[in-house]
Amino acid sequence: MDILTQLKKQAEQVEILSLQNEKTIVEYEANQLKTCTVAETKGTAVRVIRKGKLGFAASTDDTVMDKLAANALESAAYGDEAPFSFPDPKPAPVVRTFDKAVADLPIARLVEIGKEILDLILPVEPNARCNVSLERSLVSASIRNQKGLDVSFKTSPLSLGLEIDRIEGDDVLILYDQLGTTLWDKDYLDFARRLVEKLKKARTITTIKPGKMPVLFAPTGTLALALPLSQGLNGKEVYKGTSPIAGKVGKKLFDENITVVDNGIIDGKFASASYDDEGVPHRRNVLVEKGVLKSFVYDLKTAAQSGVESTGNASRGLFNPPEPSFTNFVIQPGQMPLKDILAGIDEGILVEDLLGIGQGNIISGAFSNPLALAFKVEKGEFVGRVKDLSIAGNIYDLLKNIAAVSKEAQWVYSTFYAPYILISEMNVAGKV
Amino acid sequence: MRDRIQEALKRSKADYTEIRIEEKESTRVVFRGKELEVANANIDKGGIVRCLIRYKGWGITTCNNLDDLLNKVDQAYQCARVGSVPEPIELAPVEPVEQVMTVEMKRDFRDISLAEKKALAERYNQVVLGHSPKIIDTQAVYSDSFTKIILANSEGMYIEQDRPSVVVGTTAIARDGDNVQQAHDSLASTQGYEYVLDKDEMMKMVARHAVELLDAKPVKAGQYTVVADQMLAGVFIHEAFGHLSEADFVYKNPKAREMMTLGRRFGKGILNVFDDGSIPNLRGTTLYDDEGTPARRNWLIRDGELVGRLHSRQTAAKMGEKASGNARAINYRFAPIVRMTNTAIDNGTTSFEDMIKDIELGIYACDVYGGQTQLENFSFSSGYAYMIRNGKIAEMVKDVILAGNLFTTLENTDAIGNDFKWLNTGGGCGKGNQFPLPVGMGAPHIRIQNVVIGGE
Repeated sequence: MDILTQLKKQAEQVEILSLQNEKTIVEYEANQLKTCTVAETKGTAVRVIRKGKLGFAASTDDTVMDKLAANALESAAYGDEAPFSFPDPKPAPVVRTFDKAVADLPIARLVEIGKEILDLILPVEPNARCNVSLERSLVSASIRNQKGLDVSFKTSPLSLGLEIDRIEGDDVLILYDQLGTTLWDKDYLDFARRLVEKLKKARTITTIKPGKMPVLFAPTGTLALALPLSQGLNGKEVYKGTSPIAGKVGKKLFDENITVVDNGIIDGKFASASYDDEGVPHRRNVLVEKGVLKSFVYDLKTAAQSGVESTGNASRGLFNPPEPSFTNFVIQPGQMPLKDILAGIDEGILVEDLLGIGQGNIISGAFSNPLALAFKVEKGEFVGRVKDLSIAGNIYDLLKNIAAVSKEAQWVYSTFYAPYILISEMNVAGKV
Repeated sequence: MRDRIQEALKRSKADYTEIRIEEKESTRVVFRGKELEVANANIDKGGIVRCLIRYKGWGITTCNNLDDLLNKVDQAYQCARVGSVPEPIELAPVEPVEQVMTVEMKRDFRDISLAEKKALAERYNQVVLGHSPKIIDTQAVYSDSFTKIILANSEGMYIEQDRPSVVVGTTAIARDGDNVQQAHDSLASTQGYEYVLDKDEMMKMVARHAVELLDAKPVKAGQYTVVADQMLAGVFIHEAFGHLSEADFVYKNPKAREMMTLGRRFGKGILNVFDDGSIPNLRGTTLYDDEGTPARRNWLIRDGELVGRLHSRQTAAKMGEKASGNARAINYRFAPIVRMTNTAIDNGTTSFEDMIKDIELGIYACDVYGGQTQLENFSFSSGYAYMIRNGKIAEMVKDVILAGNLFTTLENTDAIGNDFKWLNTGGGCGKGNQFPLPVGMGAPHIRIQNVVIGGE
């Protein structure tokens, strides 16, 4: 008997997630092809609500469905009180996340793309050691519940990751970026070209006197600001009371140049799909609009605990229950061209990459990171790489006053879209 | 199953083919503060096929559906074909064993109800919560897993083994105004359910340490004679030295190769260090590793001299040494890489009393809270510590961070205790993206001269 039909007789509510993933991974280590792997995952996760209590169990063995059902019921006997119901079926937006051109990529083509990436880097930087990881997946997920919800979706994620180490004497430079897409992207080498440009630009080394100065965050660098903010915007942190912006919806907390959107329905983006992992339709969630806090992100459980609706932000792996999480995190670009922003900087720095983003007590908004890659800007021009600097601050103070947000923006680290953001004065620490 | 595996191996076109199949059932109960956070049971069954074409490289497939092994082997072979290597890959020889082993537990935790496991975690949680009103948050965990592993290769090896694991652990967080302190301990075993019963004393100790730390003063920075307890000494030898003994690290990194030359002096003549996966019932015991190499005792430091290192079959062949039984994977989703099993500083001759009796001003550092290493440099923070004054253990101090260089520290280790202990803590070791791997650590008390301790 189908596990949903069977469990419906024994519990008030039932949800069945079936997941199938076929992944091909090609890995280069230190400029050499290391391994090719084909990884197939197939499994089922069950949630039941019985006598008001939530149970969870999962299995990758499809020959023991009875045991899986029994495990879920046993878990429910000791589970949390479930404050929510599994959702009714609802129409969802059509989002393009499957592309035959990606799905049909053979291993040999991935190997070749790896070589194309190395051929971009090594002629320019013969001393670089590159680790390249190329992953192509075919994911099918289906979610069914006792209310008749029965959704399934297919995605074809392609992810190209590149780490470059350049060690010359005592100088260590480590750079990383990745491309993530679900539709074939003819500009698939652009992210690697960006890293080459950074490497070239980092050849000239100069110095800057530490102190207060304008700091321009490049799209990769804005992650240091976005990560603490994303934690504060997570409904789970809001419910637990740990988010510093809990209870402040409707208030103007940031500069009016700041608009932040969680958008899971952009065609082809890495975290896009029609539905979230509980079968709730994905949507475009405006979180901050012109500086005003509009919403947090929730899954079913945290939404019910907070007395609101799910925002379609449930995310899960096979062996863990869902948690609220972001889809594609977008900081909206502004009006000003980057060259005009640069022209206004007399002496300051451009922050490309920071070390240890996400470490420390970032839920408070505080961050403190050494700069992995930064450039000095002098009278509107880049004059060289600056080293041994660090910045620290609290995003809830910094984002109150933004000098400029650029028109230009980039997708970085697959699911993050950001412009250049200029903070007119920030303390930059360093060896004096 | 055995027939199907052997058939698939026989039909493989690769130079070497290996199949590993795992069937794992696990349960986990977590209390956080007064609330139950998790009470789950999961089933994970899957397999991995590795094919080696000597002149091309490795190809791998992993899967949950094991119906068509022939096809999986072919897929791995196709994966291997796309590679190319500058020189052919060799594997050090290992006698192909045929052996089927099963584990008998005194009280099999698979026969215990989730209700009983939940009650156990709840009781331990209560012991910690109830210790003092200053305990404001806790975590109490019970988890178990039972894994049946089949490993076979195209050289005729066929091994079936069981890997049981049961863990209880707790964290206590104590608070007094803005002063927040925490303590942690866990206990793990490859034996049965009986091993984690009656651990109330251990839980009380954790609660007591967290509360006592509220009154401890931060240590004064300076240079001290430090006596490390078995836990700190064990973690130190694993993290700061053990990882450097892993051969894949040594051959990939020219700087490391220079550092780890066999015959080099590592500490005084009293220092002996080994890794041994063959000792029954320890956390890191694996009678055969995930390439089928039998576990054995591998001496790493003998009388203060570097004498060995840890290998997979590939690294052993590459360096002209013998496979050591250290190729391990956390599960069927990963290929084995060089890892430690049970790593220890061997027992010495000095009693604890003799070790501290002549120390005028020193530190007795216990347990480990965290740490990091970078080549020969390390930094560890101890969980809690005491001053040693005039040969006696005195008041508790906190924020004791030991930082230094591995070679200097081993050279300055001038006394090895006679109170060796295996530490069977939960947790595990991480390397690459494979975490957590169960490992054992052991040591007696050790005394180190001239340790730089940071602080105010």
